[in-house]
Amino acid sequence: MSADDPKSVALGTEALSKHFGGVVAVDEVDLAVESGELRAIIGPNGAGKTTLFNVITNALDPTSGSVYLDGEDVTDVPQERRPHLGLARSFQGNELFAELTVLENVRVVAQTAAAGPFSFSLLGDGRSVRADEARDILARVGLSEHAETEAKNLSHGDQRRLGIAMAIATEPSVLLLDEPTSGMGPGESRETVDLVQSLQDDLGLTVLMIEHDMEIVLSVSDQITVLNRGSVLATGTPEEIQGDEDVQDAYLGGVREDL
Amino acid sequence: MSTSSRALGLERLSAGSAAVWGAIALLLLLAFAVEPGLFVDQFVGGLVYGMTLVLIALGLSIILGLLGIVNFAHGALFMLGAYFTYQLMTIWGLPFWVALVVAPVMVGVVGVLMERVVLQWLYDEPPLAGLLAAFGIALMIREATRAVWGDTPLSVQTPAVLAQSADLVVTTVARIRLFSVVVAALVVLAVYLLIERTDFGLSVRAGVQDREMAGFLGINMPRRFVLMFFLGAVIAGVGGVLQGTAVGMSPTMGDQYIIITFVVVVVGGIGSLFGSVVAGLLIGEAVFLTPLVLQSLADVTGVSALAIPGIGGLVPYLVMILVLLVRPRGLYGQEGFME
Amino acid sequence: MSQDSTAGLLERVGALRLGVWQVPVGLLAIALLLRPVISNDLLLGYPQIASSFLIWMIIVASFNVLMGYTGLLSFGHAMFMGIGAYSVAIALSAFAVPFLIAAPVGIVLSALVAYLVGRLIAHKGEIYFAMLTLAFAKSAHFIANYNPGGLTGGTTGLADGTTPAWIETSRGFTYVALGGVRIDWYWAVAAVFVVGMLLMWQLVRSPFGRTLVAVRENETLARAMGVNVRRYKVWAFTFAAAFAALGGVLLEINNQGATLTELSIVTSGNIIIMAVLGGANYFFGPLAGAFVWMFVEEYLADFHTLVLPLAEVPLVHVDVSGVLSYWEFFLGLLFVIAVLISPREGIFGMVKAIVDRIAARVRGDGE
Repeated sequence: MSADDPKSVALGTEALSKHFGGVVAVDEVDLAVESGELRAIIGPNGAGKTTLFNVITNALDPTSGSVYLDGEDVTDVPQERRPHLGLARSFQGNELFAELTVLENVRVVAQTAAAGPFSFSLLGDGRSVRADEARDILARVGLSEHAETEAKNLSHGDQRRLGIAMAIATEPSVLLLDEPTSGMGPGESRETVDLVQSLQDDLGLTVLMIEHDMEIVLSVSDQITVLNRGSVLATGTPEEIQGDEDVQDAYLGGVREDL
Repeated sequence: MSTSSRALGLERLSAGSAAVWGAIALLLLLAFAVEPGLFVDQFVGGLVYGMTLVLIALGLSIILGLLGIVNFAHGALFMLGAYFTYQLMTIWGLPFWVALVVAPVMVGVVGVLMERVVLQWLYDEPPLAGLLAAFGIALMIREATRAVWGDTPLSVQTPAVLAQSADLVVTTVARIRLFSVVVAALVVLAVYLLIERTDFGLSVRAGVQDREMAGFLGINMPRRFVLMFFLGAVIAGVGGVLQGTAVGMSPTMGDQYIIITFVVVVVGGIGSLFGSVVAGLLIGEAVFLTPLVLQSLADVTGVSALAIPGIGGLVPYLVMILVLLVRPRGLYGQEGFME
Repeated sequence: MSQDSTAGLLERVGALRLGVWQVPVGLLAIALLLRPVISNDLLLGYPQIASSFLIWMIIVASFNVLMGYTGLLSFGHAMFMGIGAYSVAIALSAFAVPFLIAAPVGIVLSALVAYLVGRLIAHKGEIYFAMLTLAFAKSAHFIANYNPGGLTGGTTGLADGTTPAWIETSRGFTYVALGGVRIDWYWAVAAVFVVGMLLMWQLVRSPFGRTLVAVRENETLARAMGVNVRRYKVWAFTFAAAFAALGGVLLEINNQGATLTELSIVTSGNIIIMAVLGGANYFFGPLAGAFVWMFVEEYLADFHTLVLPLAEVPLVHVDVSGVLSYWEFFLGLLFVIAVLISPREGIFGMVKAIVDRIAARVRGDGE
């Protein structure tokens, strides 16, 4: 289901591929995520979901294909510039500035968002730059009480939230979340997803979310893209995907029994 | 940026590299023509030196690639090989052939001690930690060596059969040097067979790729780590025995060799044992032949400034700079290693 | 304990309610107290070496901007100090250029070399970067040894005519003689020390510096969050070189010349040791490391002339001095222990932890 007006596609990919030697991790993936949409990316382990994120954000160079942000071709834009164009992400394993405080983690990202990929800001106290904005973000995600805790000392769930907070600090228009609820119990998962949805509403975000929890996926997604062995198996609304036989064969059937 | 350009070896002779290799071949021919005897001399010298580097580098590369430890103490292990030989032969009067086997094993034990007491706690720390700890151990070993055997350089009696010279037409070469090359080559071959052709080696290689996964598969990685550390130390010890017998030893030999050995490992590519072998020989020959080539060029062209004195010492570093500029991961380095 | 919680902790302990003034006050204290302290008979007993202490503190601190704050390990940092020293020595002896022009030129030259080398290598992986810095440092050493055009003095270095006219030495003391006034060289060094260290401190506490810390903590994440990691590394390398060269130009006067030692790998290695020993995590860490290292070296060198209570204890033989000639063994042991406990805390970190714990207990906070 692609949009007719390209401008309303916040994030698009065209025949995006990534090969590692002989292994095809991402295979001619076409995406068209509309502005304000919450798109879930699902698929079995090893389907290439995180690799897809890596290629979209240019953590890895694509082997071929293109990436579009708000209709603009950003395929040749280097990784460190993409957050400044509005593309943010969180990570599957917790990527944090471990020894720094929670506040500093968010603050330094907020500082970078304002200053650009490189700047000679040699004057003044770095710790005060964008500190207020950082505190606001912490309050927004519910981490205010841990502001002075070192990131490595947070609980797993709080670390995931910190990852989301940092992604928000880049002032994105498109947010890529890689398994935001991994390692969480059902209660915490629900809270996290509620947070994502409320952030999405407040900030007008487009969200791409890799998720394994089918209950969540089916209940909150506007659309779902199913990946298998690096290529798109199906795209559609939750109802369409639930009814899709190919998807059931490849993935949903097995997972339903698991969860 | 293209993954397809990772092809190595002769299959990808672009015009540029063909020109470079051609020029090098020409220069070598020139040097041989100008001074054939000296050329062969230097060539053998480079081979011996290169093989010594390979022996130390192999062990270093195994430890670095498998365990992620920058084993700064590897030069010290090499040195201990020489000093244990001295102890066995000169102090305890045992024959060379015994020392050749026993000394490396003793070094292996020291290596295992290092790993068990200190380094095993640092496997998942950033590389700096292992480097510093190994550096500390290297200091301790060097100072202990000084304390036990003194500061003055020592030597051992070359066994009679190896003390003679071999005739190589244009020049003669001490047999001990040829012996060193042969032993080193055999060791390299043995390591290759172990790593590439046995199940044990396969499990080690799997562990290098993904230590966690290998562990899940029931492979006892810690035991393999100790064994590989032992092996790496033994190989360095063999190098020490050969070096100590052929040339002699001093407490600074560890320091002298460790840095060049790191250069070899980096040039060969971190994570590649084959790379260490190739780079060791390449750099060994480059160190010995470059001054000769420059001298020949100076003689032929009359530009005496070409014969830069002492350039040999700088050659490994120049090679490293050149190689890393062209191939950022060394000759055969693998992506994701220590990055 | 990280830099971040330092301010918070000290606020709670109330030991030094100085807040942002901690660092300037600390630097001034060092500048003022160093010489009197080490002149004390219980320590070294003579003051002349004090200026060397300060100069090496600057140099090791400059290295820590690179290693402690940006997370870049360089095996060739001495090279930039050496470029500063040699620039001044050559300018003074061969071209009669005044020191006050030669010194800034030397610093800029060092920074320029660092920038160019950094552009080539800063983005490479940790070990590759470290080895390449080694290679470039070896090359610099080789060039100086080769003595192109007779400028660098080869193996013996430069000594004649390398001291500015306004430097006088008498009875083992060095003085700056300006307009009829004689100031002890130590105070000139101390002034540069305070200014230089304050500049470094501002560099690391600025937004630029905070980004360097983020790069150190998690380079992958920094890049993913929009930081141009490569450029930051290049400029960290450049600034560190400039400050090292500042130390180098002072060293040139201090040692009255420039020698190959300033460019040697051993010196680079010593700088790494001093930084790690002192504590890479802390601004004052490298200062502590430089102090301890130099102190121990000087102390051991004069061991036989010092009065030691040990000598009176019959159980301790004179052999002690023999063991101490293998002092690097104990240094190695210290390293191993320090690394096993925590590689980044160093002496400063350990002392700080003890002080904090005592202060907390004094205040009645249980543990």
